[in-house]
Amino acid sequence: MAEEVRAPLAGTILDVLVDPGDTVEADEELIIIEAMKMQNLIYAPVAGTVGELRVKPGDKVEPDAVLLTIE
Amino acid sequence: MRPYFEKMPPLGRELKDKSRARTGASRTEIERIEAEIAAAKSARMNVGMPAETVNKRGALTVWQRLERLVDAGTWRSLHSLYNPQDNEEGTTNVVDGLAQIAGRWAVIIGFDNKVLAGAWLPGQAENILRVTDLAKRLNVPLVWLVNCSGVKLPDQEKFYADRRGGGTTFFRHAELQQLGIPILAGIFGTNPAGGGYQSISPTILIAHKDANIAVGGVGIVSGMSPKGGFDVAGLEELIAQTRGLAEQPPGGVSTHYDATGFFTQVADSEDGVLDGIRDYMRAIPAYDPKFFRVAEPAAPRLAADDLYHLLPANQKESYVFEDVLARLVDGSEHMEFRPDYGPEMYTGLVKIDGLLIGAIGNRQGLLPKGYPEYADYPGVGGKLYRQGLIKLSEFVTLCGRDRIPIVWFQDTTGIDVGDVAERAELLGLGQSLIYSIQATDVPMMLVVLRKGSAAAHYVLGGPTANRHNAFTLGTAATEIYVMHGETAAAASYARRAAKDHEAGKPLQPIADKMNEMAKKYFDTSRPAYCARHGFVDEVVELTGLRAYLEAFAGAVYQHPKSICPRHQMLLPRVIRG
Repeated sequence: MAEEVRAPLAGTILDVLVDPGDTVEADEELIIIEAMKMQNLIYAPVAGTVGELRVKPGDKVEPDAVLLTIE
Repeated sequence: MRPYFEKMPPLGRELKDKSRARTGASRTEIERIEAEIAAAKSARMNVGMPAETVNKRGALTVWQRLERLVDAGTWRSLHSLYNPQDNEEGTTNVVDGLAQIAGRWAVIIGFDNKVLAGAWLPGQAENILRVTDLAKRLNVPLVWLVNCSGVKLPDQEKFYADRRGGGTTFFRHAELQQLGIPILAGIFGTNPAGGGYQSISPTILIAHKDANIAVGGVGIVSGMSPKGGFDVAGLEELIAQTRGLAEQPPGGVSTHYDATGFFTQVADSEDGVLDGIRDYMRAIPAYDPKFFRVAEPAAPRLAADDLYHLLPANQKESYVFEDVLARLVDGSEHMEFRPDYGPEMYTGLVKIDGLLIGAIGNRQGLLPKGYPEYADYPGVGGKLYRQGLIKLSEFVTLCGRDRIPIVWFQDTTGIDVGDVAERAELLGLGQSLIYSIQATDVPMMLVVLRKGSAAAHYVLGGPTANRHNAFTLGTAATEIYVMHGETAAAASYARRAAKDHEAGKPLQPIADKMNEMAKKYFDTSRPAYCARHGFVDEVVELTGLRAYLEAFAGAVYQHPKSICPRHQMLLPRVIRG
């Protein structure tokens, strides 16, 4: 079962803090997205393993865009 | 009420190793600024004559007196860098802070006798105003270490007169005493004129055997009759008069202990004076903290050192406010008020040293989808919206009703703007919050964690907008200004840029001016600047914040003017539902 981590709002990916295959705990920092002049941390909603990574630094994303999955 | 307070729900998350590693550079930057502040404080302590020189003259320095007077480990300095008029001496020439003496909290202030024998300097009256206000707001004794040569005469026009000038201390002392707040004075050295009134206006005067206090000193008494100018003959007459008076300056112990009896007590040594202050402190009413404790004191469950990784030096980076608060409060526990309403603000009950405190802080980063409910744009932490303002007024009002002191934590860019926000009544709700704060009459303190900006700096417990702010702390990440410098530059030059552009004029000069303005905003909002100009009362290391919270809580609950029995409090019931 894969949990999709989505962009909460439109912005630019500033940094990706995990790689596919990384084990993450719940609340672990995954991605920094710059939006509304702020750098916002996206946290892991659940513990698991990072599956597909769909963004890289510099990408512009729309609200609800899938950023990565956690298996 | 034990089921409410003994064990509250847990607050904050563990700091993960990866987060610690990612934020290493931020920690380095915060520690760099903290080191600069510490160096400035150290330089301030060492202004004037070396301690050895003062000691050779048979006196202690103000720092040595403080060291001997206060209970070990309780000194919480305030206004260490305060020097609003940039005096060449590097100081307002008073040293002050909160500390315990004989187990009781007091506000303590002393003249720095290393500098011009403790003279009045520009900015000092404002410094003293902060101190008398602090004693008044916390309802704790004020202790003076008086050693004041009077006005620095060449600069008198900068502070002698005026509504907030040097002499206002004396009516403020009267005001404190009329409110039942005692003032103890240890008196050392020569205290003419302003120094004399500084000595006579407290409640209990304990003098060193060589101290004197007087309406005027030798210099004034010998030159009281202006003759329209000076010449050699006049100077010789002046010298003769001065010699005669210098042998026995007016207002010594033989006058003010033996004859007038103004001095309550005289001690043969400086330590004897300090012992006398301690004795009188023991005679002042103070509750044992257990009277008001709702639980046993406990250190935070989560380490204070984590704060260096949780509060980003980068002002653009968001963080989780609850993770910060968890490092400051007993057991890292809390009871949150209205968690599902006004998500940009945290409001809740916490314990400091077992004493109940209301905590308020700006949340950062993204807010839940659909918030603010009145707008079609997303909300962002650090800003204030309609629900947050309403929730704050409710929380503050309930804290006032339950006599719970409040600690505010600011990191704010302002209140939401635009016509949509105006229709949502934010202007009125901001002022309503100020009204609610004024209606409480509970002591408050403020920590400006990072940004204090726009009207939000006022309404979120800022010292500018209420009488209940006892003191305000800054951190190495603090910046305070009406708005960001680039925003201000755009507001100031946008129209002119448009006109010049239409006229075909070059735009680079305007861009240069805008950069200059933004740079000025940056320079005048740094932590050291904020401390020097009194925007904050002290800049404190992140790991030192809790000690100030403990001092605040301890002082507030030492002798509160009004109390609410814990079993009659409403706020905990409102939270539990």
